Amino acid sequence: METKHLNELRENIFKCMGCGICRGVWERKDEAMCPVWATCLGFEDSTPRGRVTVAQDILDGVIDYSMPLAESLYRCTDCACCATTCDAMDLATGKPIVDVPKIVVASRMDLVENSLVPPPVRNYLKAVYVNGNPYKLPQEDRGKWAKGTEIPVFSGQDYLFYVGDVGSYDERGQKMARSVATLLIKLGISLGILGSNELSDGNDVRVVGEFGLFQHLAESNISTFKDAGVRKIISLDPHSYNAFKNHYPQFGADFEVFHYTQILDDIIRDSKLFKAKGNSIKLTYHDPCYLGRHNGLYEPPRNILNKIPGLELIEMGRNKKSAFCCGGGGGNFFTDMIGGENNSPNRIRLREALDTEAHILAVACPLCAKMFEDAIKAENLEGRLLIKDISEIVQEAIQG
Amino acid sequence: MKKDKDQIKQLLVSIVGQENISGEVPDLIPYIRDSYSTMMGRNIPLPDFVVMPETVDEVQKIVLLANDYLIPIYPRSIGVNIAGSALPYKEGGIILDLKRMNKILEINEDTMTATIQPGVTWGQLRKEANKKKLDIIPIGGPYQTSPVGNHLLTNITPYSSKYHCDRAMTLKVILPNGKILRTGSWASEHGGDANPYFRYAYGPDITGMFRGSLGNFGIIVEMVERLRPVAPVEKEIAFGFKELGPCLKALQAIERLEFTRTCQVYNNILAAHLCLAPHRIKEPGEREKLLAKLPPYQLGIGLGGTEEMVALFEKITAEEAGKRGGYSVPVELELESVAKGASRAIMHMYAPLSGFAAIIGCLPITHVAEINDIVKEAVKKYDVRDPLTGEPQEHELIVIPYDRSSTVYVEQEILYDPAADRATLEPVMQCLRECYAKIVVQYGASHTIPNKTLMKMLVPSYGELLVNFKKMVDPNGIMLPGGPYSLE
Repeated sequence: METKHLNELRENIFKCMGCGICRGVWERKDEAMCPVWATCLGFEDSTPRGRVTVAQDILDGVIDYSMPLAESLYRCTDCACCATTCDAMDLATGKPIVDVPKIVVASRMDLVENSLVPPPVRNYLKAVYVNGNPYKLPQEDRGKWAKGTEIPVFSGQDYLFYVGDVGSYDERGQKMARSVATLLIKLGISLGILGSNELSDGNDVRVVGEFGLFQHLAESNISTFKDAGVRKIISLDPHSYNAFKNHYPQFGADFEVFHYTQILDDIIRDSKLFKAKGNSIKLTYHDPCYLGRHNGLYEPPRNILNKIPGLELIEMGRNKKSAFCCGGGGGNFFTDMIGGENNSPNRIRLREALDTEAHILAVACPLCAKMFEDAIKAENLEGRLLIKDISEIVQEAIQG
Repeated sequence: MKKDKDQIKQLLVSIVGQENISGEVPDLIPYIRDSYSTMMGRNIPLPDFVVMPETVDEVQKIVLLANDYLIPIYPRSIGVNIAGSALPYKEGGIILDLKRMNKILEINEDTMTATIQPGVTWGQLRKEANKKKLDIIPIGGPYQTSPVGNHLLTNITPYSSKYHCDRAMTLKVILPNGKILRTGSWASEHGGDANPYFRYAYGPDITGMFRGSLGNFGIIVEMVERLRPVAPVEKEIAFGFKELGPCLKALQAIERLEFTRTCQVYNNILAAHLCLAPHRIKEPGEREKLLAKLPPYQLGIGLGGTEEMVALFEKITAEEAGKRGGYSVPVELELESVAKGASRAIMHMYAPLSGFAAIIGCLPITHVAEINDIVKEAVKKYDVRDPLTGEPQEHELIVIPYDRSSTVYVEQEILYDPAADRATLEPVMQCLRECYAKIVVQYGASHTIPNKTLMKMLVPSYGELLVNFKKMVDPNGIMLPGGPYSLE
């Protein structure tokens, strides 16, 4: 059976001692951090350590890839908590020697090449392959979210505003896309969108192991961006940001990439947009994994929220590097391989937000927004806690 | 066993449900690996099943089943394993994964105890205890480990000089023959449930029989764990020393004043490794910069009490350290993390590369400097290299007093690369063997856990007694902890 991609990480994989610290969290936080571990309390192969020991035995020829193993591997959300928790580090890079997220992606790439892909993942990939998006909606509908607004099509503006699949097709994502774009325009940012010419960024396609399709999407996007004269990109979605920033350069991309919170942070740092307010509203913030752990952007969202008068930012017990994943990463937003029902990651995280006694859970990712709104419904908490994107909070603060 | 495997599976399914049992190889593989298997070779046999019970009743039924069919059982709590303590060593059998038994059954403010199951972690317990202004007694293991597992292992819990190393009060155990045993005051058939909090009831200390037993005598399904009150002010301070001898003298003098909560001595190598967990690395070369900044030896002290008490303790401590050449170490972020990690709650894993061979010995403080030199010389003699840099290695040292320095626990670590081949690991093994031979023979340094080899060599009388006790509670020989620790 094909183990080419795993084999490329052989040295890395055999450095693991199997202590199991990667399942938990560093710095005195108490509960399991790996969302799969926290969700299912399943057998050890569902944990980061288990994935590595299984990888060792695949490379040793003791076991082969199989469908049950594939189902376990696809539950990983690529949140990277294990990579920040592991004690084994490379002094030269400051990064973990045993990079479990990388090992999981390599295993998934092998699984794809061995045609051992669970049906929900296969359906997701097929939808992207056939329709260009996981929603199986027409490409020409991609820009419909901007209909009725004054958001222009890109024609040489300073920035391309890239929306992504969820911002383009999901109702909650569309609302967020409109909010971010209109706010940035209002604040004087020159931007345009690609509308129906936008393609999926492919971040989650890469993470589920379909590197060929990812490469196709990346090269197509790069070509479209270059043809349109794009130099700088503002991303709505941290998943897109991660793909553009960390994985497109290997195909020749040299764009400046920003998440919209970075741009907002920059604009409002010295501005007097906000009027002082008497009543204090408690709010907490959830770090998206692809903004936080994968890219180290913890402060821009907090800077923005701290700048708004009348808001009191209360951190959840697990925040920044220790933030607990909402469960929507690693393709799980579309495949829900992780499951969990009552104990699903989004519901666990929502309960943590409630513990802060905040009225608002602020997010900076359309996937997180959707995951938490679903959790609110599942937990029957409508009215107790509002899920708001940072741009929506800023809009309201400006309007008074 | 093989003949009846399907039948046994069905019986296990009827006890724990289909989703909590597996005989699939990918599910089983992670249960036969830890650093011990890496170091000693990877030929650990596969068990037949992994089973995850949730209740005491389920555990009891599984143990009775195992007796009926003579199936070996390998129990484990949370499974933060680095020393083979939960690895199977015979073909077949059942891995009993207890992590679903993760409930804190009670936190009693009056008795300052928590009644917990084996799947509860220190972190989970601490969070709940803190809600009642109580805390766990400082430990030596990572936050993710299990108090029950630590009780069975012993050597990871001596970090508090004030509360000593023994925190378990009473136990509820499923004996290997399937019977339920309760210890201490909990054992009483009349009123035991009303008062399960007192360890020293009814003669011999049966709770103590399980300490360090590593699962040979049964499965602890509930444990009453001692907690401590949170003081109004809790503070960690540290003093640097250029030499180990004066640093140990200062530790001894301060401990005899009997006011510290925690106290420990460690060298700069250990401190650097603790500080430099991956997310604390800011740039290459950070380790060298930090090592240059750290004192060669450090005395870390945890204080607690009212504001006035802590101020007074701090003053006295500084005077005692100063008399012996100690100087106050500025509490920078990294150093603070070491002090807090060691004295308030948790010490994280020692090694930046996760592979470490431990030389452990409990002995009078008088000989600590000498056994430190023994390890230093052996590391040099066998040319043990730093697995990260390839340069000659310096070992880690930590010294923790038992009972106000009557004896100290000394742990010295040699790092190695777990991915290295056997030939590269051999000098580490030789070094380890030589160090143990010297510190045991010359200084009588004792280990805290019943390693089978050490037991046979050093304490055959103990070994015989424990084996006989095991035969009594485990007539069918089904309860098997990890290979190095089985009394079989």
